[in-house]
Amino acid sequence: MSAAEDSRAGASATAVPPTLDELRDEAMAWGRKPRRFGGWYVTEHMVRAMRAYGWTIVIGALGQPVLYLLGMAVGLAALIDAPIIDRGQQVDYLVFVAPALLMTAAIAVASEEFTYPVMAGFKWRRYFFGFSASPIASAQIAGGVVAGAAARMVVTVVLYYLFLWLFGAVPDPATGWLSIFAGLAAGLAFGIPVMAYAASIEDDKGQFALVQRFIFMPMFLFSGTFYPLSELPGWLQWIGWISPLWHATELGRAATYGDGMPPMIGVHIAYLLALAAGGWFLGRHYFERRLAR
Amino acid sequence: MVDVTPRRGGVRALWAGNPWAVVQRGLLAARSSSWIVVLSGFFEPVFYLASMGIGLGSLIGDVQTSGGVDVPYAAFIAPALLAVSAMNGAVYDSTWNVFFKLNYGKLYEGMLSTSLGPLDVALGEMLYALLRGLLYATGFLIIMQILGLNLAPTAILAIPAVLLIAFGFASLGMAVTSYMKTFQHMDWINFVLLPMFLFSSTLYPITVYPEVVQWIVKAFPLWHGVELIRGFTTGVMSPDMGWHILYYVVMIAVGLVFTTKRMRALFLD
Repeated sequence: MSAAEDSRAGASATAVPPTLDELRDEAMAWGRKPRRFGGWYVTEHMVRAMRAYGWTIVIGALGQPVLYLLGMAVGLAALIDAPIIDRGQQVDYLVFVAPALLMTAAIAVASEEFTYPVMAGFKWRRYFFGFSASPIASAQIAGGVVAGAAARMVVTVVLYYLFLWLFGAVPDPATGWLSIFAGLAAGLAFGIPVMAYAASIEDDKGQFALVQRFIFMPMFLFSGTFYPLSELPGWLQWIGWISPLWHATELGRAATYGDGMPPMIGVHIAYLLALAAGGWFLGRHYFERRLAR
Repeated sequence: MVDVTPRRGGVRALWAGNPWAVVQRGLLAARSSSWIVVLSGFFEPVFYLASMGIGLGSLIGDVQTSGGVDVPYAAFIAPALLAVSAMNGAVYDSTWNVFFKLNYGKLYEGMLSTSLGPLDVALGEMLYALLRGLLYATGFLIIMQILGLNLAPTAILAIPAVLLIAFGFASLGMAVTSYMKTFQHMDWINFVLLPMFLFSSTLYPITVYPEVVQWIVKAFPLWHGVELIRGFTTGVMSPDMGWHILYYVVMIAVGLVFTTKRMRALFLD
C-alpha cells in the first residue's frame, strides 16, 4: 500500500465518508483542466505525431522554395521579356510569382494535414475516439487538429518568406512580413473545409486523390499564380475568384510590393475568413455527430 | 496428366515466361478499385497544358526548341507534359502501388510461391503500368491534335516513346521501392521528381542555365524523354534522338536486372 493510499485509508477511518456531491465535485475539479485546455492537448498530440516525418517536413519546407524559385524565377523569367504589369505597377517576374508560391506552400501543407490524419483519427487509428473518451469535447478535438496543422503551416510559411526575402523577391520588407499571415489564412481557408469533408467520409475510395487533382491542381494552375488572372479568358477567370489561393495571393502581392492597400482588401480578407468559418461550423458538426456515435 | 518439367539453373529459376498472368491479375483488381481515380490521372497534364499554354503562352509567344525552330509556347510544353505524365504515372505505379503490395498486401509472396519467378513478377507489374501509360498518352495526343499542337505526322511516334519512357522509370522505380520500409521514405521520391520536372526543359529551354547546370540536367532521364517526344511532335528530328532512345534502353535493362535481383533477394534466397 502506498503512502497516499495509507493516509486516505486513515482519513476515512476517522472522518465521515465523502458524500456523493463531494465526490462529484472532486471529479469535476479533475476534469476542469482538460475541459478548459483540452484542445491544446489534441494539438500537442498532432504536433508530436508529426515528428515521425519531421525530416520530411523540414526538407520539404527548405527544398521546395529553393527549387521553385530556381525553376520559376531563373528559368521562366528568362523567357518572359516584358515585365509583368500587375495593378498598374511594373514588377519583375520573380517578385510577381513569389507571393503565389508562398500561399501555395501553405495550402499544400493544409491538403496534407487535413486529409489523411483526420481520416486516421476517425477510422484507421481512431485516436479521436480516445480523446473523446476523456473530458475533451468534440469541438475541442476539431480545434486541436486545426491548431496542429496551423503550427506546421507557420513553420513552412515563415521559412518560405525568409527564402523569398533572401532571393530579393520582397521589394518592401516593411510590409512584406504580412504575407506570412496571408499564407496562414490561405491554408486555413482551404484546409478547414477539407477537414470537414474528411470528417464526413466513412470509406477511403480515393476521394483525397480526387480533391488533389480536381480542386488543388486547378486552383494552383488557374489562380493567377504564374501570370495575372486577366491573361486567362473570361470563362476561366471564375476559378480564380472562388479560389482562396487567388485572394490570399492578392493580399500577399499587396504586402510584398508595398504599394499600399489593394482596392478589394476587405473582400479578400472577408472571403478567406468566410471559408474558414464555414468550414469550421461544418467540421464541428461532423466531429460531434461522428464522435457521439 | 500434366507434363511438368522442373526449371533448372540460370534464368530458368527466375522466369516462367508468364508475366501476362501478373498483368491479368492487375486488370482484374483494377475493376474492383475506384476507376475514377485511375481516370483522373489523365487530367493532370491537360490542366497544366490549359493553364500554361493559355496564360503563359500569351506572355511568352514563340519559343525556340533545341532543334532550332520557333514553335508556339503551347506546342513547346505539350510534349514535355506528355513525358512528365509518363514519368509520374510510371513512378507512382511502380512505387506506391508496389510498396503497398510488397509490405501490406504480401501479394508477391503469393505469386512467387506459384510457378512464377521474380522476373515474371517484375515484368508483369511494369507491363501493367505501361497499359495505363498507353491510355493516358493516347488521350493526351488526341487533345494535342485537336488543339493543333502536333506539328508533324511523326507525332504518332510519341506513343511508343511514352511507353519507352514509362518502362524506364517503372523498372528503376520498382527496384528502388524494394528498399523502402516506411511510408515516410516514399516522400523522397518527390524530392527527385520535382526538380526533374522543373529543370528538364519542360517549361522553358535549358539554354537559360549556365553550361554546368545544363550538363547536370542532361544526366537525368526526364530530359532525354522530353527531347525525344518534342522531336516527334514538332517534327524536327535529329540523329541525337538515337542517344535518347539508347539512354532509356540501358535504363530499362539496368532496372530489370536490379528489380529481379531484389525480388530474388527478398523472397527466394
